[in-house]
Amino acid sequence: MMNPQLLHVYRNTPFGRETLLESSYFCKSVGVDMVIYVPVSTKFLMYFENDVVQVDLDRSYLVSPETAEERARAICRSQGVEPMFFTPKDYTASTLPDIPTEFDYMCCPRSIADVSSKIGLGYIGPRVRRIVNHATFPVYIPNPVFKAWKKVAVLFGGSANAVQAVRLGVRLRDATGFPLQVFTHLGRTRRSTYERIIQENHLGEAFENWTVFEKGRFRDNLFEVPHDALVIVGAYGHGLIKQLAFGSKMEVIQRVLPNSFMIVGPRCRV
Amino acid sequence: MSVKQKVLQFGRVFRQLTWRMDQRLLLIIIAGVVGGLSGLSAVILNEMLSRVYHALKPLHAHWGSLVLPALGAGLSCLFLGYIMREGAGHGVPEVIYSVLKRGGLLRLRSSFSRLISSTLTIASGGSAGPEAPVVISGASIGSNIAKKFGLNDRQRIVIVGSGAAGAISSIFNAPVAGMIFAVEVILGDWTPISLIPIAIASVMGAEVSRLLEGNQIPFTHHAFHAGLLDITACVGLGLVAGLASVLFTRLLHGIGAKSRKMVRFDTLRAALGGTCVGLLGLFLPVVLGEGYEVVRSVIENRFEAGLLLATGATLAKILATSLTIGSGGSGGIFAPCLVIGSLGGLAYERALIFLWPGVAWAEGGLFALLGMAGVMSGTLQAPLTGIFLIVEVTGSYEVMLPLILVSAVSATLCHYMEPVSFYHKELASQGQLLRPRTDAGLLADLSVLELLEKDCVVVSEDMRLRDMISIIQQTSRNYFPVENARGDFVGLVHLDDLRPYIFNPVFYDAVVVGELVQSDIPHVSPFDDLREVLDLMDQTRSWSLPVVHRNKYLGMVSKGSILDQYRKELVVQSY
Repeated sequence: MMNPQLLHVYRNTPFGRETLLESSYFCKSVGVDMVIYVPVSTKFLMYFENDVVQVDLDRSYLVSPETAEERARAICRSQGVEPMFFTPKDYTASTLPDIPTEFDYMCCPRSIADVSSKIGLGYIGPRVRRIVNHATFPVYIPNPVFKAWKKVAVLFGGSANAVQAVRLGVRLRDATGFPLQVFTHLGRTRRSTYERIIQENHLGEAFENWTVFEKGRFRDNLFEVPHDALVIVGAYGHGLIKQLAFGSKMEVIQRVLPNSFMIVGPRCRV
Repeated sequence: MSVKQKVLQFGRVFRQLTWRMDQRLLLIIIAGVVGGLSGLSAVILNEMLSRVYHALKPLHAHWGSLVLPALGAGLSCLFLGYIMREGAGHGVPEVIYSVLKRGGLLRLRSSFSRLISSTLTIASGGSAGPEAPVVISGASIGSNIAKKFGLNDRQRIVIVGSGAAGAISSIFNAPVAGMIFAVEVILGDWTPISLIPIAIASVMGAEVSRLLEGNQIPFTHHAFHAGLLDITACVGLGLVAGLASVLFTRLLHGIGAKSRKMVRFDTLRAALGGTCVGLLGLFLPVVLGEGYEVVRSVIENRFEAGLLLATGATLAKILATSLTIGSGGSGGIFAPCLVIGSLGGLAYERALIFLWPGVAWAEGGLFALLGMAGVMSGTLQAPLTGIFLIVEVTGSYEVMLPLILVSAVSATLCHYMEPVSFYHKELASQGQLLRPRTDAGLLADLSVLELLEKDCVVVSEDMRLRDMISIIQQTSRNYFPVENARGDFVGLVHLDDLRPYIFNPVFYDAVVVGELVQSDIPHVSPFDDLREVLDLMDQTRSWSLPVVHRNKYLGMVSKGSILDQYRKELVVQSY
């Protein structure tokens, strides 16, 4: 069988090196093949089942293309990962390559996610939202600076996507051997409701290390999430209007926590 | 219940209602809405073009005509590249690509970006038409509405075609031509399931245009009479139109390719193209803009030009359009085709008079009209679109016979010299012209991974022949993939390779598989195109090949399984 694959869009800059180190570490820890795309233009298209997303990159992604592949290979090898390089075959227009969406994970650095002025504010841009909303793979949002994670933490809010997030957490726990910890902020929902969801989905063994916050604000409770954990979150991938109307938990989590994230969208197949 | 829950519940109920509706009826209703909206986008583009053109008209005199096309093309390119972040160009190949390969998925921004960019290009004097921009706009409107309703790929493609049909139908007030264009050029698929929604969309597009702009055809109807000699001369006109179409297609691509090599920056390239067009326009103003007024004057026999001037104007229009669109300006080729055809038809009539002055030839307007159909049919390689468009935009139903003749001759000649049309040329060169139910189309929908045969028993290279024989007894396969101790693929062992040894027990413990393995066996990757896989099978005269990824054996792919899936896919696509 083929190993699962992670798609990484490489940027040949110091920031790009950090995100590639993050991706390589993830690939090595989980046993995933690394597929690197060195961009040939500042935009590309991803065709999902029911939507097409154009990802616009800034020009730093095109810096020194002659050294990009060599450097990316060296960075991956430093982590013990042998990368594959993806060359687009299909083009929607001459400067608009199509990137396949049949990967098992995709790394979305925050600089794809948003405009540079918002880096560090935890803002997840509309394109990443659409990728999350339509992708059949979880989206990996790494730290801006490489930091090895040694735990897996799942934020479980009881939704169908959160259940998927727990399943992914179990999978990553089994693949890495790192401990899994689940966090739940009760809010207005009773503990028994969550317990019923866990029972119905046969997730009992994943909740051996389950921290439940019965009091306090959601964002304050996030302090308890380990600093060296990969945080897995289920997300609806709401559009801008729904986000403006109802707000976004994912936004709060990303704004408060400095950890690397794995976002599990509604169409994600775990 | 909170506001959030109410909104979400409304969304759920709406989706359930639309889902329960009969799918064909739903498709027709959506097509109607899309046709209407596409028609509206065409009306908006017409209005914007008219307003901007009249605002710039005082500047068109003298040197203004030199600067304006450059400025317009440059701004158009800037707008598309830096504000909308889309590639330059007219966009119809993008629609066709999306239909053939991506289930009709198009970006929302395409529904309005080309309307603005083409206004900048055309109203400033660039030689292009407004049709391609409205086609991509209508198609994008259709695609995005189809997404909202969660339609599947095939339904979405029909709605994309409906958007294109509504747009063409509205901009020319020609519902039949709109419908035929969508089916002949965009979809390439004449199934009843697509025809009905597209027809409805076409009607809606035309009705929106009639409601907002009045029921008028672009060119005033003139009654022409074609005698037997004129009809005979139509064969020659078809050849002339065909040659003009081939020249136009090649120049469009040639200038596009050359200019991309010469000038790297899109905006500068488009501006330089615009400057050249402006220069041409200084001497021959007929080449500027969409050119409908020129067509009107030619049909109405008001265009005073002899053989040389008419021929020169035809060639100049071909060059001007190639410069405008080839260098990256935004606009379509429909209107330029009409201008080139009408001027070419006029030149042909002048040539006939020059050669046979004693013959009573039909009016120049008739030949202009026939030339329009010829160039349109040749360039698009869509004779039906050419015929019906000309009939509808001129109201000349009485000249149907010569129209068919010219279109058929022109399209045949073009097909002989340029096997694919202008719209399809780029896609064909990339191997992406994947029409439904064609070999290429069917194979493109299959992947090596879904055809993987995993029932071959993998053996280790240090396995003794004795163990190998016991494996042979348990399988019906003739091939045995061989792996080394690390699990890397080494090659294949065929049953024929074992035959000299398996009947002699002396070899059972003396021979190991590694000694018999064929390590030079060609193999394929799971991501290879099936056409490449079949080519490799033909070259190596193999019936099956191993699939290897990162030195690991994944399975076999065989001609038998490809044929099996091919037939299943054909059934799906034919339904």
